[in-house]
Amino acid sequence: MIGILSGQQEQAEAEEETTAPEVSDLSFGQDNDGSFIQFSKVNVFYGDMHVLKDITLGINEQEITVIMGPSGCGKSTFIRTLNRMNDTIPNFRHTGKISIKGVDIYSSEVDPVLLKVRVGMVFQKPNPFPISIYDNVAFGPKIHRMVKKKNEMDEIVEEALRRAALWEEVKDRLRDNAMKLSGGQQQRLCIARALSVRPEILLLDEPASALDPGSTSKIEELMVDLKRNYTVILVTHNMQQAARVANKVAFLYGGALVEVGKSPRIFENPANELTERYISGRLV
Amino acid sequence: MSQTKQIEDSAEEDRVSGRRAGPSWDSLRKSPSYRNRRIKDKVIKILVIACPMLVLVPLLDMLYMFVYRGAQAMTIERLTTMTVGGAALGGGGLANAIVGTLLIIALSTLFAVPIGVFAGVYIAEFSGNNRFSQMIRFTADVLAGVPSIVLGYVGFLLLVLEFGWGYSALAAALTLTVLMFPYILRTTELSIRRVPDSIREGAIALGSTKTDMINRLTLRFAIPGILTGILLAISISVGETAPLIYTAGFGNYIPSALLHQQVGYLTGIVWSFSQIPSAEAHDLSYLSSFLLITIVIIINIVARVGLRKFTKI
Repeated sequence: MIGILSGQQEQAEAEEETTAPEVSDLSFGQDNDGSFIQFSKVNVFYGDMHVLKDITLGINEQEITVIMGPSGCGKSTFIRTLNRMNDTIPNFRHTGKISIKGVDIYSSEVDPVLLKVRVGMVFQKPNPFPISIYDNVAFGPKIHRMVKKKNEMDEIVEEALRRAALWEEVKDRLRDNAMKLSGGQQQRLCIARALSVRPEILLLDEPASALDPGSTSKIEELMVDLKRNYTVILVTHNMQQAARVANKVAFLYGGALVEVGKSPRIFENPANELTERYISGRLV
Repeated sequence: MSQTKQIEDSAEEDRVSGRRAGPSWDSLRKSPSYRNRRIKDKVIKILVIACPMLVLVPLLDMLYMFVYRGAQAMTIERLTTMTVGGAALGGGGLANAIVGTLLIIALSTLFAVPIGVFAGVYIAEFSGNNRFSQMIRFTADVLAGVPSIVLGYVGFLLLVLEFGWGYSALAAALTLTVLMFPYILRTTELSIRRVPDSIREGAIALGSTKTDMINRLTLRFAIPGILTGILLAISISVGETAPLIYTAGFGNYIPSALLHQQVGYLTGIVWSFSQIPSAEAHDLSYLSSFLLITIVIIINIVARVGLRKFTKI
């Protein structure tokens, strides 16, 4: 039944929710135009495929915003619009406006390379470069010529590793190849690598889905810690994880934004039937 | 006792759950088919050992002959003096041929490596799978299959005659460049493609430009593979004769210019002197073969040792 729901219907439901007065924390529309990150009527297409449908969403600074939804609902596409990682995909096209602190990031005057420095990203599968731990973290600062002296680089590497809660484990083996680290350590190294160029926003695309429970909880603790300095946007389909770390949750389904809400509320009292069914595991 | 009890229990469970009981465990006993399988395994094993032996024995025999005869023929004088006479009477030394071979190979490597590597990087990292790159790939594959004597003839018509370079080191080197190009191109492309996309994504997400990503990551990890390709291409062209006959002629002296001067080369000695009925010519022919084999072996050892160092990173 749900599987054959058309995009228009979902959208209609989303719009209906927008106007629902009883749900006070919804982030649609005019009252959130001043958000740190603002999506306004964003549509994304890959060729003929309509991947994101008319998304309007505000994301606050120094919070963890979780994007959840079933596989193929456009979660990854959604966060990849924020650092323009989609640009290289053939036939990628978008309409609408995405702005960060009032700057339209798809404006022709925006340098996509500088954007990626401000918006860091960590991927689902840990992807350290097969070079030393130190060189992994130093890669970003090196290509952006952020340092003049070697000891400056040492400081940047240490700071990034500390922020990623990895320093204590690797400080004596910085010259070791990064591939020798465990999966969880590799992922924290990737976080350190993303932090090394001092971004303000951190995109995490299911960063713990390939990790064991111990490493997962370490990453989760880290995320909560990171939001003091960064704006974190996390994609996950792990409901418990979303509930543990999120300040705000956006639920995507079939490319449309179905519901947005503050964290405990959306789990305890979802306003939309689709959200409710997804949370209770009855939506496939 | 308790074991039997368990089996009975599980049998009971089977009955309850309606699961079909498997065949009796008694059937695990070795049957005639067991012996047949063992024999089959042995026959296959003998076959797969015999085949490499079939290759190895003649190879070792050949190596022995060339090392033995070549070493016998080796004197300082022969390594340091020039060849005397041509196809009529072969004598003297090999200095001109050794220098000529090294010169031609060095020049063609100098041309073929940058062209092949850049073209490979273009196909692997920039072109995607567009028409142009498909065309390059197809051309390279065809080129790799063209008999070298045909390339030599083209080099003769174009470089020696049309461009008026005469038999010369440059004409020979450019002809060998065409021969080496497809190997270098393809191995470069394949080794770069083997670098996982997740690494590219990681670099791009850090705001790396494509050039930085290629220089610092993908090309770097592809270097062992690329080097293997280059050394393979060199080994192949060291042993080429036909294209050189057409383009280098054969010179009894070390050339002082890259154009209009014929050049000597070891394979030329092997080819022409082995046909001259004189012991001295045959000696030189064996010595040349020995030197060629030595060069190829040295290249292979350098490749292996060098690669081991590189892959450590």
